[in-house]
Amino acid sequence: MAMLQATDIHKKFGHLKVLKGVSLQVEKGEVIAIIGPSGSGKSTLLRCLNRLERIDQGCIEIESETMAKNGPKGWAVYSDEKDIERMRRKMGMVFQNFNLFPHKSVLENLMLAPVLVNGMGKTEAEKIARELLDKVGLSFKADNYPFELSGGQQQRVAIARALTLNPSIMCFDEPTSALDPELTGEVLHVMRDLALEHMTMIVVTHEIGFAREVANRVIFMDDGLIVEQGTAEEVLLNPTQERTKSFLGTVLMAR
Amino acid sequence: MDYVLTLMPSMLKGWTVTLQIFFIVLIFALPLGVIMGIARLSTFKPLAWFMELYVWLFRGTPLLLQLLFWYFGLMAVGLRLEREMAVYVAFVLNYAAYLAEIFRSGIQSIDKGQYEAADVLGLNRKQTMSQIVLPQVFKRVMPPIGNEVINLVKDTALVYIIAMSELSRAARIHAVRDENLIPFAIAAVFYLLMTAIVQQFFKWLESKLDYYR
Repeated sequence: MAMLQATDIHKKFGHLKVLKGVSLQVEKGEVIAIIGPSGSGKSTLLRCLNRLERIDQGCIEIESETMAKNGPKGWAVYSDEKDIERMRRKMGMVFQNFNLFPHKSVLENLMLAPVLVNGMGKTEAEKIARELLDKVGLSFKADNYPFELSGGQQQRVAIARALTLNPSIMCFDEPTSALDPELTGEVLHVMRDLALEHMTMIVVTHEIGFAREVANRVIFMDDGLIVEQGTAEEVLLNPTQERTKSFLGTVLMAR
Repeated sequence: MDYVLTLMPSMLKGWTVTLQIFFIVLIFALPLGVIMGIARLSTFKPLAWFMELYVWLFRGTPLLLQLLFWYFGLMAVGLRLEREMAVYVAFVLNYAAYLAEIFRSGIQSIDKGQYEAADVLGLNRKQTMSQIVLPQVFKRVMPPIGNEVINLVKDTALVYIIAMSELSRAARIHAVRDENLIPFAIAAVFYLLMTAIVQQFFKWLESKLDYYR
């Protein structure tokens, strides 16, 4: 059973067509890396999957439940808000800019959703929060505020926070792009650990090395379409499409 | 010095009236300002437009005229508001308009990412507003709110126009009667004392909120 199935997704911002018919199926335990030049629509695709953006046309299913599908007029129609919220709880999201809550301590950032959304008791929420902080190696920062942490530490907290609702899929939107180069390693390390635990992951990234090492499948997007996909070896080492070759050429040359 | 002491009873009495106006207006105008600031950003357009009109009207005319309207204006059409009530209504509605604008801009200054993070964590709108957005807004708007509160201390002097005996009116009465400017100087000291307290209070509040950035 597919964890997530997106079919023929179209999305426009004003007159700009950002997604021009993208289909994506994600199986349980898969780690998918989406690469491509900026403006290729890869972040928008990810944001559409958990409805941070609404799609114009297409179909999205999470664990065989329909979130949106084309209605009689050909435009996407979303399901009941309550059902959608339940489906969205299955997806954790990590942003490029971390988006931690600056006025809450690290521990409070992690306890917020379990307490407010799942109605969990504070003691239990704190226990889970501390376990997750331990997992990302930041137990000693529990009582600090986000501004007291480095970018890499903030992103690790953000990953832990996304895990508090026990999601079945983790989405990462360029998780290392806002970080200084020497800080990307610690974040990628945490993500690698998650992959080893067979977490289903969709990662929009510029880290070709990470994609090669961790992803089961690499998707190359350009101009609102999936140009090429396959194993990391296929796409990154032996691309068949000219556009993939030229993109990889530029990216690898820049290293 | 003896002269100053003879003024004190009526000056202090005026001062308590000033303080009363100050606190009552603050207690009502602050929450009203928050609500109006949120309403101004409502996705329900008629409400947002109404708030814009409201702000324009109450920020766009002198508070002095508004005072006259709520007291004499209403009286002229047969609706009599008590003197105190007219003052409270005029001040609360006027100050709420200014505060609404401050809260609106504060809310708009919060990064979109904060809303998105709350959204993907499953927080509903109310929780996002009360737990994530407003606490950060309060910190950011503290300096301009401090300005407004200091303005309010001094604006209370306007109520002399409908013959309410607050601090500045008490001073004026003595000054005219005794042909002496000392009562005004005393009033100034009282105002400076009040604004000093307000200023220190906001300094303390801002330092309290300094635990995060």
